[in-house]
Amino acid sequence: MTTGRQTIISAIVNPSRHITIQKIFPALSALHFASLSVVFRMMFFISSLALFSAEHSEGERLFALKVKPLFAEKCIACHGSDPEKVKGGFNMLSRASTLKGGESYGEDVLIPRKGEESILFQLTTRVIEDYEMPPKEADKLSQQQSLWIRDWINAGAPWPDEASITVIQNQFAEGVKAPTSGGLDDEWTNRRYSPEHLWSYRPLTVKSPPEGVHPVDWFIDQKLKTAGLSPAPEARSRELARRLSYGLTGLPPEPKSVQQLSRNQKNGSTQAVLEYARQLMQSNHYGEHFGRQWLDVVRYADSAGFANDYSRPNAWRYRDYVIRAFNEDKPYDHFVREQIAGDEIDAADPEKLIATGFLRMGPWEQTGMSVFKITRQQWLDDVTDSVGQTFLGQPLQCAKCHDHKFDPIPTRDYYRMMAVFSTTQFADRDAPFLETENREGFNTSQEWTKAKIQAYQRQHKELQNQVNQNRQQETGDAKVGDNGLDPGDEASLARMNKNISRHQWELEKVLPIAFSVHTGKTIERNNVSSRIRPPKDPWAKGYIKKDTILTGGNVFAESEPVAPGALSVAAFLGKMKPSKFPESRGKRRKALADWITNPQNPLTARVMVNRVWSWHFGRGIAGNPNNFGATGSLPSHPALLDFLADWFLKHDRSVKKLNELILSSSAYRRSTRHPSPERMVSKDPKGQLYAAFTPRRLTAEELRDSMLSASGELNRRVGGIPCRPDLNQEVAIQPRQIMGGTASVYEPDPLPSLRNRRSVYAEKLRGLRDPFLETFNQPGPDKSCELRATSTVAPQALTLFNAAEIHDRALAFAARLLREKKNPEAIIRRAFSLALGRSPLPDEVDICLTHWKDATSEEKEKLYAKPDFPTEIQRTVMAEKTGQPYDFIEIMPAYKNYIPDLQPAQTNARTRGLAQVCLVLFNLNEFAYLD
Amino acid sequence: MKDTRIITQPNRREFLYGLGAGLGSVAFTSMLEGLDSPTGTPHHRTRAKRCIFLMMEGGPSHIDTFDPKPELTKRHLQEFSRSGEMESAMSSGKRYFVKSPFEFIKAGQNGSDICCQWTHLKDCVDDMCFFRGAQVESVNHPTACFHVNTGNRFGGDPAIGAWMTYGLGSLNQNLPGFVVLPRASYPQGGPANWSNGFLPAQFQGTPFRAKGSPILDLNPPAGVSQQRQRTNLDLLGKLNQKHLEQRSARSELEARMESYELAFRMQSEVPEVLDLKGENQRTLEMYGIGQANTDSFGRKCLLARRLVEKGVRFVQAYAGNWDSHDYIERAHGNLIHSVDRPIAALLKDLKNRGLLDETLVFFCGEFGRTPDNGIRGGGKSYGRDHNAKAMAMWFAGGGTKGGHTIGATDEIGAEAVENVHHIRDIHVTLLHLLGLNDNKLTYYHAGRFKQLSQFGGQVIQEIIG
Repeated sequence: MTTGRQTIISAIVNPSRHITIQKIFPALSALHFASLSVVFRMMFFISSLALFSAEHSEGERLFALKVKPLFAEKCIACHGSDPEKVKGGFNMLSRASTLKGGESYGEDVLIPRKGEESILFQLTTRVIEDYEMPPKEADKLSQQQSLWIRDWINAGAPWPDEASITVIQNQFAEGVKAPTSGGLDDEWTNRRYSPEHLWSYRPLTVKSPPEGVHPVDWFIDQKLKTAGLSPAPEARSRELARRLSYGLTGLPPEPKSVQQLSRNQKNGSTQAVLEYARQLMQSNHYGEHFGRQWLDVVRYADSAGFANDYSRPNAWRYRDYVIRAFNEDKPYDHFVREQIAGDEIDAADPEKLIATGFLRMGPWEQTGMSVFKITRQQWLDDVTDSVGQTFLGQPLQCAKCHDHKFDPIPTRDYYRMMAVFSTTQFADRDAPFLETENREGFNTSQEWTKAKIQAYQRQHKELQNQVNQNRQQETGDAKVGDNGLDPGDEASLARMNKNISRHQWELEKVLPIAFSVHTGKTIERNNVSSRIRPPKDPWAKGYIKKDTILTGGNVFAESEPVAPGALSVAAFLGKMKPSKFPESRGKRRKALADWITNPQNPLTARVMVNRVWSWHFGRGIAGNPNNFGATGSLPSHPALLDFLADWFLKHDRSVKKLNELILSSSAYRRSTRHPSPERMVSKDPKGQLYAAFTPRRLTAEELRDSMLSASGELNRRVGGIPCRPDLNQEVAIQPRQIMGGTASVYEPDPLPSLRNRRSVYAEKLRGLRDPFLETFNQPGPDKSCELRATSTVAPQALTLFNAAEIHDRALAFAARLLREKKNPEAIIRRAFSLALGRSPLPDEVDICLTHWKDATSEEKEKLYAKPDFPTEIQRTVMAEKTGQPYDFIEIMPAYKNYIPDLQPAQTNARTRGLAQVCLVLFNLNEFAYLD
Repeated sequence: MKDTRIITQPNRREFLYGLGAGLGSVAFTSMLEGLDSPTGTPHHRTRAKRCIFLMMEGGPSHIDTFDPKPELTKRHLQEFSRSGEMESAMSSGKRYFVKSPFEFIKAGQNGSDICCQWTHLKDCVDDMCFFRGAQVESVNHPTACFHVNTGNRFGGDPAIGAWMTYGLGSLNQNLPGFVVLPRASYPQGGPANWSNGFLPAQFQGTPFRAKGSPILDLNPPAGVSQQRQRTNLDLLGKLNQKHLEQRSARSELEARMESYELAFRMQSEVPEVLDLKGENQRTLEMYGIGQANTDSFGRKCLLARRLVEKGVRFVQAYAGNWDSHDYIERAHGNLIHSVDRPIAALLKDLKNRGLLDETLVFFCGEFGRTPDNGIRGGGKSYGRDHNAKAMAMWFAGGGTKGGHTIGATDEIGAEAVENVHHIRDIHVTLLHLLGLNDNKLTYYHAGRFKQLSQFGGQVIQEIIG
């Protein structure tokens, strides 16, 4: 090691230079001052111990209760637990080995009775750059933890044997143990937790509010009162109308609903809000909006991602299943059971097969270049973690390689849970269409796909002929490309073949197939590039995976066998009746679904009511809807959360009823403006007491849908095959590489009615994101998104102000206004009402009218050409075999019968002038933000 | 131990971002200066202040660029076999050793190995530190690209450039801190290769597109004049101001108003950076601009220099496609020619301007290539397959050890055997060179403090000068 390092350390250790060191490292000297108070605390700690035990010394107790567990949590992973990988040769498993030191430091690591001088202590204080221990900032010890180590060393660094440690721990340890299926070692198994972090595994504690008080407000107001903070007044009715309409349907309120709510509110706000909420929940747009939020959590997409980004032609039926489930208010337990085990519950019911699409939502592919065992394991890991996050609020990935660092989730539970899925196999199963499924647009879609395939086939034939004619025998032992052909042509043939097979798979979009699973043996697959048909006998061919813990998460490192199971800590602490998971050919997933939906399960209902709450308030009662473990933020109102969970269980697990309960509270109806914001900040610095409602920006989808709604272009049909809206043209034609060539160009649907559907129906390709939606924080579909983020960046302004698609909306909006009203002032009033849900103030009318007039006179000077949509495009790629550019022509059949949205050439100057006002309205803060 | 303060930090930071932006000026990439570490200040002093990442997409062959294997000449077309659990379709069937079609020379003061095709870059080897010890985990393009770019094979995590701008902030408020210069065709896996992942959106890589508008929607559709745009912005400002008056405590609204003004300024700033007219003819020639084979990457390299000069923190320029399973002599030959002159010009230009010392230039692909190949299209194809166990990689400037070759592969170039490092150590080293400590540059997400290296890694000291 470097000599510089030695010098620094010896400087610290050498007492004669102590003063200087304190100057260099003020933090260290701060510790000295702090130590006085610690001495007092230690005295208290020790004297309280002394009441109980005289057998063990203070140092021994300190070691057993504090230092040993600290070593286990922070040090042993690198310094002992894996004998093959002891970092720096420093092993902390025993006193002797610790005293010995390692490669970098010798006996000065631990000098009994000289805590201050022992390097073991010094490094934990993190005063020397680059020599901090533990190395990760996130793992750093608190000052108190460092001082435990120092004080233990000062006490002679005693290291009692395991038996004594157990005796001491049983007698004195703070915190509680959490019963589990057992960790990889006893240290972990006997670990203690601060009781508050185990809240989510314990049974619900239900307090009943008094009669006549709204339960939500009873819990919320108690905390406000304690904080000495009075709530904001009720929001204005037009604010409430927007809040409710977007909150339940993701769309702006109808102007007449705003008026109605305002009228009804005079006879009682609660009732008025409830009535409006019920009305909104009866609309199918409710399911679209709530479904979209669920799809964020499960990472819905219409393609598989990675190298090929193949279409998942039947995934849309799962998307519609989710929308239907919310619209029909499917009891939540059914919703959960169907997604996890629909096929095992009733394979004859198409709906239940479709529901299991959930299990396959993550990105996944198997190419000729992947190793099946690895990609299969990738899915097993994915589904285990996904079930954990989605239904149990427990990210399980953390327990894949080792017992969970913070939560009582042993790695054994991870593999028990994974074992539930070892007989789950991908299957695209026959599932007749339901009457409720939207089958519109099938023909148009098939026509386009077939035209695309035919165009490729035609080009392929021509090129193949040319290649056959030109091909010469290669000379030499190894091919060097002297076959007389343009290697780009050869690559182009491969590209066409690839796109033909991609589009052929897409043809299955309109077939009654469910993107689903079946239970059976695992069949190794070399390359998945078409429908996976379930075998006739699922138990004939293939193998049943041995269920074991995989050491370090490595698929090739099988170790201890495990049996299917679930989260042991939730079962034990939640006092659930023991349940039996079948092995071998049994219905393992059904058992897991039973376990998750068991009313005794402490997590399931809490997780869902917290999600619903977060969808209304913009944050959960527990701050991380996907993470109820110790690293998630603790619930701000635990009693409220438990009350709601219990209420949910007692009210048919109906999300609609839960919505009614939440929306009828005063807390939901509060204004975003608190009369005394300073007081609110000082009394509620974390902003979690609900004294005022938290404003929010519209989501990406809501922004697009709202513009389509205002312009009158929105096709409100529910469900169906994915639609292809107009994308930014440059992104649409942007070549993107897939295995074996370049993917087909993105072509929008030919008709406005097909394109201008709600954003939840827009085809979601993992390899080609809609830049508009992406820039407004639509999450990528690779990771679960528990709640949308909102950031403000300049590209949002660029797209909302400049994009052709937004100018199209503004023009259509203007045309609609001119169709509906004649009087200019009435037109402006109508514009405000449709876009903002309110009437304009007189001066707002004035400046908008002036703006319109000026813009119109400018527009009079302009001539617009009719847009031209070419039906083919020249594209350039770098050819693999030459390293040089290669041009080719791609046919775009969608533009053959393409009807654009309203274009400037089709309108007069007055419309175009008004469109400038409309564009500004779409860009307003008031448009984008809800009060 | 749980420290809830730390855990709620990211939310708080996002809030403060809005606040800071409202008070000062909102940035394309926020600086967040004066707020909690890690954003805004380096963890330790270093020479490198910015980074140019030359991403050689497709997996350039180390054997045919910087790592000569004379042994392969001896074994050319002899049969080769491979087995083991990682065996996939790519390594099945009859396989043959393949020699490099290129001669190698010793260049520079220390006699660094370099293939003779690099007729310009050979003059720069004294500033380059070749590293032969790097390995990745995947032999598939998208997973390996994700791995090299984001540290996570399966994508969805922040790219290195996002981490660096998150850690160091941007030096120019009117330009993005992390710029990507992609090829006309996007790589497999697409924009996830320059994603902000779970970091706030302002750290996302902004592609300056090779064709069309450099930044999407930088300008309004045809027919909308700048004057019209200004007038629209003024109306927007007036109406927003009224709305704001009743909501004075809402800094995010003010920030959003600022973002429109910034967008307007960018409309002139971005074309200015892209406009190469100000560069003299000698410079253009040096980069190979105007010559068919080198024009495309030459522009990217010159643009990279201009961007870092303007304060962009991280520029990633793509070249390729290096996926030469066949006809490697022609394919690699052409590709080397297309990047050789531009890269040499970039290194020399940075050096002449005194920028090389503070600019880390990093060259790599997503993996290397095999010493052997199989049968394709009926014959023994003279090319190479994917190899995760060895790859081509070098560093220049930014405090790295020029003129040295670190690590080694075995005698046939199948596997790194000396100074072997997983890609995560490369990531840790890149961060380190920029003054960032991977163990401190963390972000709390989904129950865990995430970091670029995923689990922590080791600085490769030998690379540092």
